[in-house]
Amino acid sequence: MDENSSARLKRRLLGIVYRIGLFLAMLTICLPGLWIVISSLRPTVEIMAKPPVWIPQEISFDAYVAMFSGIGKGGIPVIEYFRNSLIISVTSTVIAVAIGMAGGYAFARYRFRGKSGVFLGLMLTRTVPGIALSLPLFFLYVRLGIIDTHFGLILAYVALNVPFTIWLIDGFFRQVPKDLAEAAQIDGCTRWQAFWQVEFPLAGPGIASAAIFAFLTCWNEFALASQLTRSVSAKTLPVGLLDYTAEFTIDWRGMCALAVVMIIPALTLTYIVQKHLVGGLTSGAVKG
Amino acid sequence: MKGFKPSAPFLLLLPAMIVLAAVVVVPLLLSLYSSFTPFRLTRPETFYVFIGIRNYLSILSNTDFWWAFGRTVLLLTIALNLEMLLGLGLAMLVEKATRGQRILRTLMMFPMMFSPILVGFQFKFMFNDNIGLVNNALQSLGITQDAIPWLIEGHLAFIAISIAEIWSSTAIFAILILAGLLAMPKEPIEAARVDGCTPWQTFRYVTWPFVMPFAYIAMTIRSLDVARAYDIVKIMTDGGPAGRTELLWTLVARTAYSDGRMGMANAMAYFSILLSIAFTVYFFNKLAAARTQIGAEW
Repeated sequence: MDENSSARLKRRLLGIVYRIGLFLAMLTICLPGLWIVISSLRPTVEIMAKPPVWIPQEISFDAYVAMFSGIGKGGIPVIEYFRNSLIISVTSTVIAVAIGMAGGYAFARYRFRGKSGVFLGLMLTRTVPGIALSLPLFFLYVRLGIIDTHFGLILAYVALNVPFTIWLIDGFFRQVPKDLAEAAQIDGCTRWQAFWQVEFPLAGPGIASAAIFAFLTCWNEFALASQLTRSVSAKTLPVGLLDYTAEFTIDWRGMCALAVVMIIPALTLTYIVQKHLVGGLTSGAVKG
Repeated sequence: MKGFKPSAPFLLLLPAMIVLAAVVVVPLLLSLYSSFTPFRLTRPETFYVFIGIRNYLSILSNTDFWWAFGRTVLLLTIALNLEMLLGLGLAMLVEKATRGQRILRTLMMFPMMFSPILVGFQFKFMFNDNIGLVNNALQSLGITQDAIPWLIEGHLAFIAISIAEIWSSTAIFAILILAGLLAMPKEPIEAARVDGCTPWQTFRYVTWPFVMPFAYIAMTIRSLDVARAYDIVKIMTDGGPAGRTELLWTLVARTAYSDGRMGMANAMAYFSILLSIAFTVYFFNKLAAARTQIGAEW
């Protein structure tokens, strides 16, 4: 009896410790982001206040209004940056996914010599740090006259994304049973038709999440963009963030607001794909 | 007449090969060449002067470079190990949760959505010695009266950068390890318990071997973009104070674009490329080994 109650007590204590641990972990994960959102909504005076003001006294959207009301007022041309980011990310994602589908299909459905060697080779091209790659690209782009253009950055981002989209899409095609396409072919489909009408729809959600992942990589990329773009005509949002830092002062509130603008699309898209993303990366981990 | 007929996988992989050759391989060969020249951006004619391995030799005797190299390796070692441990812990915490697991999983992925540059900026804001959240909290709790110079003192700045790096990348480990835990069959654990294993033994000999391939996938993915730390450091300290947080990548960028010494920078860049490749190949092999082990046991 005594043993029973002490065991019960122990279990309850462990339960409490577990909850506290979980709470602290989640707090650490969420707090930095929340702090940015809060800071973007309060007047600069409050951010700078000493002693600190913990609970916002007044909420204002001034930072956002200023940001979207053009140069002059907000200080930086956010709308142009936003447009550049969108054009570059979407275009390079579409191209990278098309190329990735071809490559992923090849890895998932065919056996050929040197398969794992080719796969590792593709991955290795991805390991080249952006900043190391930017040196020769910078030089080449200046020579070719495509520095500071959308085209140049799109080209670089396609190459950046292709290895990873191949990895992901390979995983998704592996999850589609081979028999289905074979059955369709027996029923008279060509291989091409079997692909588009049977395998593609089944792998579709996975491919969509690979696309979103590629989009996010472009949307967030900084090292290459910061060296290959110079002006408003091609700068992307991550590079634009630096416009808020002057020599000695930083407009914290403006930066926070821009950060929120950058994070919202990323947040929504990641939420949509989270399930497929993990599936694509790990398929083959267990099956080999 | 039979012409040359390329195989299907070759044709399918061709576009990928072309793009990667054009944007990665050829530029890299170019940069390999220019690492043997004294090329300066301001003096284009120096591109055609061949000086052999003199750049590499001067790197060997460049203490700044070796400090940056050592610091980069140290940062990666600390960050990757802690990310792995914390990711494992986080995954096990979330896996235990009986209710609201979906929400917890989404929250857990939160830092992954932040681009490294945002992470850098956000922690620069939080670690600001004057108005930062960290110092404000420490002062309000009465732990210290001074403004701790997080980003101004060398060692503290290194710690702050490591924290930012770990915060941003633990999620990758956590979700992949969690995927492993969820995919794991329950029978072996029950069998181990019936056979009288302690929780630690169950974890060490049953759970861990199963989860390991997932951890290596995370490691491989992470090693693909270890250079993300460039963005974080660039924003938080820009290699300062006085070069105390200079990493390989910030040093390369500074040498190339601020000093305009492209030849030298390319030589340095090759060191950082080799470092990245070494990481990836290492974890890729581990991954392959772990996969075959699982295949044999289950």
